[in-house]
Amino acid sequence: MVLPAAPFAPQPTGLERLLAEVINPGLCVACGACLGLCPHLIFLDGQVAAPDPCGLTSGRCWDLCPVAQRGGPGAAQGPIGPVLGAWQGRATARDLEGRAQYGGVVSELLALALEQALVQEAVVTAAGPRGAPQGLRVSGRSGVLGAAGSIYAGGGALGELNRALAEDACHPLAVVGLPCQIQALGAMRAHPDYPQTLERIHLVIGLFCTMNLPWRGVRDLLARHGVQAPLSRADFPPPPAGIFQVWSGGAYHELPLDQVRAISYPGCAGCADLTSEGADLSVGACEGKPGWNTILARTHAGAGLLELAAGKGLLELEPAQPASLEHLNQAAIAKRKRAAAWSEERRHG
Amino acid sequence: MADVSKLIPGQKVLLQGNEAIARGALEAGVALAAAYPGNPSSEILQTLADSAHSAGIYVEWSTNEKVALESAAAASYAGLRGMASMKQNGVNVAQDFICNLTISGTQGGIVLVTCDDPSGVSSTNEEDARFIARVACLPLLEPATPAECLSMMKLAFELSEQIGNLVVLRGLARLSHTRAGVVPGPLPESKRRPRWDPSQRWFTIPVVPRHQAMLDKLAKAGEIMGAAGVNYYDGPQRPELLVVASGSSRLYADEARRMLEAGERVGILHLGATWPLDQELILEHLARADKILFAEEVDPHLEGGVKSIYAQHVRELGIKDFFGQDTGHKPPVGELSPSRVAAALADILGLPWQEVDPAYQEKAQVAQALVAPRQVGFCPGCPHRASYWSMKQVLAADGREGIVSGDIGCYTLGVLPTGYQRVNAVHCMGSGPGIASGLGKLRDQGFGQPVISVVGDSTFFHAALPALVNARWNNSDYVLVVLDNSATAMTGFQPHPGTGATAMGQAGTVVDVEQVCAGLGLPYAVVDPYDLEATQEALYDALQIGGGLRVLIFRRLCALVQNKQGGHPWSISVDPELCRGEDCGCHRFCTRVFRCPGLVFDEATGKATVDEVVCVGCGVCAQICPAGAIKARPKEATA
Repeated sequence: MVLPAAPFAPQPTGLERLLAEVINPGLCVACGACLGLCPHLIFLDGQVAAPDPCGLTSGRCWDLCPVAQRGGPGAAQGPIGPVLGAWQGRATARDLEGRAQYGGVVSELLALALEQALVQEAVVTAAGPRGAPQGLRVSGRSGVLGAAGSIYAGGGALGELNRALAEDACHPLAVVGLPCQIQALGAMRAHPDYPQTLERIHLVIGLFCTMNLPWRGVRDLLARHGVQAPLSRADFPPPPAGIFQVWSGGAYHELPLDQVRAISYPGCAGCADLTSEGADLSVGACEGKPGWNTILARTHAGAGLLELAAGKGLLELEPAQPASLEHLNQAAIAKRKRAAAWSEERRHG
Repeated sequence: MADVSKLIPGQKVLLQGNEAIARGALEAGVALAAAYPGNPSSEILQTLADSAHSAGIYVEWSTNEKVALESAAAASYAGLRGMASMKQNGVNVAQDFICNLTISGTQGGIVLVTCDDPSGVSSTNEEDARFIARVACLPLLEPATPAECLSMMKLAFELSEQIGNLVVLRGLARLSHTRAGVVPGPLPESKRRPRWDPSQRWFTIPVVPRHQAMLDKLAKAGEIMGAAGVNYYDGPQRPELLVVASGSSRLYADEARRMLEAGERVGILHLGATWPLDQELILEHLARADKILFAEEVDPHLEGGVKSIYAQHVRELGIKDFFGQDTGHKPPVGELSPSRVAAALADILGLPWQEVDPAYQEKAQVAQALVAPRQVGFCPGCPHRASYWSMKQVLAADGREGIVSGDIGCYTLGVLPTGYQRVNAVHCMGSGPGIASGLGKLRDQGFGQPVISVVGDSTFFHAALPALVNARWNNSDYVLVVLDNSATAMTGFQPHPGTGATAMGQAGTVVDVEQVCAGLGLPYAVVDPYDLEATQEALYDALQIGGGLRVLIFRRLCALVQNKQGGHPWSISVDPELCRGEDCGCHRFCTRVFRCPGLVFDEATGKATVDEVVCVGCGVCAQICPAGAIKARPKEATA
């Protein structure tokens, strides 16, 4: 007797599917959530690759991938997620000037958390020897300063977090990440086979993000404009600037925004999160106030750290301006709409 | 190999076919022998090299087969006897020279030995090099036994001098490596003094009269070989079936006839001289049988030749039935065997034939199931495994669908799982960089894939250099990776220009790969493939540069040579506490993906472990273990 085919065959949820649905179609945003878990996924020069089939039908690489796990139109708590307090601020220390992004709040908070032993190591993104961003573990202020500032390119930093979590250690960790990475952290904490994420990640600082760029695309674009990598910092100034600002070797350059958009990660288009809604603290640019950050305290841990920094005089803080928050809301709503439209378009081919 | 110059004349000894060829050459007074190693021919030159000092002759491993034959021709022009030996592929390399040499002619006796490899057991192709006899109108001898190897080598040299042309002797893999009794003859008592008479000039023009002279030489060779007794008939006066056979197939036919107890019905026409064919002899035997079967290996050389003779004489011979490749009685591919010939005989004669006893077959199947499946693979510690590992990793990370153009050597195994199937094309010696050179010129038409060409250090000198000059000249964009294991490892560790050693054991001059690259103006770097991280960084960077040919030399001594020179430094072990086994995140990464035979998966414990008998201690696997479970400790510390 020939048995009929099984009415439903479980779909693989491992590397094979990650390759088919995320990596091979070019949707990977190099967050690094799949890296450092196994030897099959590697990261070199800003790009994730899988040289060999792993042969398993399920794996955390799929479970943790924020692109693979994208669901509905977004969280229910409003366009910028849960907020205990909204601030605008900047670091008072002068050693961050010109190195950190905007007001240097992220660097200062991270340095403080390390100094106060709230965490023992922090996973951040910094330029590697080739100029490509990559995950890095820092354990003090000098390390934080070395990684300060953004170059807007995917660095797979969560791979470094996975490596840290795989070690036989129990010290607390902090993570700084983009919305995609904060989403992946949420999946890590919820994963039944990843209990150490709950135990060891004590601080999550999220960044605001409208889109991110693949390093190799950035490097090629820079080369076309005669700019030598590595970059020390980059920024998207608010509209209507229409430019991408980069600092390289002390020199400043402007690249046309449309050319930069053209190389951005296609996978970013489906992201509905502007402000890293799952973080303890979210930090981004403060519109209309250059050199300052907007800070959203989302958890008591985040609010407590902010309070501590302010109390020590490390941060100059003001309540966020309603107009600025409204603008952030509108931008977040627009990102959600774009993501919904993109997802809809993909669903219907 | 043994010094065969010291064999005692008249005293029967066991000799390998290749050793007998070497002894035959010495008895014929060969003064210069040259070759490029290639199985199954390699032992011929090694035997001569090991006999060279006592025999007072010159023997060399040449950079390639064409140069080897040209060196042999030099001896001939100086009035001495010279020879070149090679595998079937080598005949292709030497062909251009052969096809001109046959027109210009020769002075001292000169013999080309080709050892063909039916089934391509140690080759990238299956080829019948007898074609060269037809193409270049050269006399062809095919021995069947080591004794005939010796005697036919002597005949070949004599014949060459009598007609003033090159003579070809064709061996086969089975004959090359078969040992049988041989009775050596005396070595020449005197030596010739080399001198090229300046009034003698050797060239091919005017072409047409010289072409005619070449044909006349071939006809004369036919007469001499016909009288030499190398062709003979063995069987009943009027056989029901005549088997026309040459080489090892003569023995197979004889054995098949015995197995079938068909001695009264089957006759064998043994052809030792197979080009030109002895028309008179063949007509005589065609007239005595109505059924004719051909037994020969690879191409239907005899089958075509005999049928051609028959076609000219069909009126007097009448209707005959021919059996061979055209009728499916001789396989068109693969090695022949007594069983295959017996099957053909049985079919033609209507005899029952069973290759294997069913009871035996049944037991064999049971036994077969007990034997662990094995795959051809790199040796434990082979630097090529590490090299291909790095190429695989880097090309995947590069993400532009990189292509690896392969070449000939141990590293040809890169086409198999042992090399992660990372090689996209393999053809002949030196073709890898040539193909890469072409790919690297398709950039303007949109070919964006990076290209790596891999060549071994010996292949680099054999045939890669013209392709490299071509790429340099035309600014082709690719990365040449020289897999420098400082040995011609696949064929038995013969020296090559990069090692500086010579066949006769004297120091030659090292031809340095780096200096060659520098001389060509090529940027190059040297890395140790055992250092995976450094190798991968260097390769990735080299791929990103673009714009022209650049060279990476992956230098690490062949693991087998290293084992003979004190071994590797590490003692490898697996910490079972750290080994992830089959868990998510590894899934037997070292034994399933890396696949060094020194690592085995212990099904009982569900962990990897080291096979201490097989592992050589290269330490590469310790770099790929994601859990740090594979430990490499200095051997001294663990002794």
